[in-house]
Amino acid sequence: MSGFLDGIRCGDCECNVDWGERRNTIASIAAGVLFFTGWWIIIDAAVIYPEEENFHHAYHTCGVIATVAFLMINAVSNGQVRGDSYSEGCMGQTGARVWLFIGFMLAFGSLIASMWILFGGFVVPQKHVVYPGIAIFFQNAFIFFGGLVFKFGRTEDLWQ
Amino acid sequence: MAGIKALVGLSFSGAIGLTFLLLGCALEQYGVYWPLFVLIFYVLSPIPTFIARRLSDDTDSSSNACRELAYFLTTGIVVSAFGLPIILARKSAIAWGACGLVMTGNAVIFLTILGFFVVFGGGDDFSWEQW
Repeated sequence: MSGFLDGIRCGDCECNVDWGERRNTIASIAAGVLFFTGWWIIIDAAVIYPEEENFHHAYHTCGVIATVAFLMINAVSNGQVRGDSYSEGCMGQTGARVWLFIGFMLAFGSLIASMWILFGGFVVPQKHVVYPGIAIFFQNAFIFFGGLVFKFGRTEDLWQ
Repeated sequence: MAGIKALVGLSFSGAIGLTFLLLGCALEQYGVYWPLFVLIFYVLSPIPTFIARRLSDDTDSSSNACRELAYFLTTGIVVSAFGLPIILARKSAIAWGACGLVMTGNAVIFLTILGFFVVFGGGDDFSWEQW
């Protein structure tokens, strides 16, 4: 009984964490939090305000396009755009650049569209319930930044 | 075998987590069983990591796109398990007290699953013969 606390060593954690290697993991997790928080915000708004006059259902398109853009942006690696990956892929370097260009245009477009929806659809007509507009804006902002973090927060340098 | 003590400890914390979840459903002042839907997320959460480990034969610590996608999806499943009780409570399908209990249970269960991966899943010789 005596000395039973002697075996406890505080701060003796064996986690040999190399933060350089962990950058990709942290970026992936942060991007996941952002992206899925965006979607749960819009699910919340859709559940609280299911009526058409409070939350016009066509506004969901914005988030869907933002998700498509996220997938497009992250489908190509930076190596394929630079042209220094081993395989040429489906369309080659030019195809990868066009794909990434379209993906970023859709991403920026959906972010701008969400702001337009918020102001044009909710603020200017002075609707009673503004929360769906705010939810759409935050959904698209989170998805956009989640995409950016997932694309640029990870490094593809295999050798540090 | 990483240790019986770790296994028993993890199973204890898993039981505590499930207890919190069931308290959120079964207490007299709550009485609705909608929060049990987060069990789907508990079951789904280790699957992306398992698939990524199975698909990538190289366990070098360099960047591995499949593993990062698995972390992304796992994070999404965890966020969803926290988001669902909040939405249920905001829509008054469950009480906020039940929501708090379910989220506590979530935290404990996900820490348990993480503990399983840390204690049993890591290492270069992760092989399916363990099963």
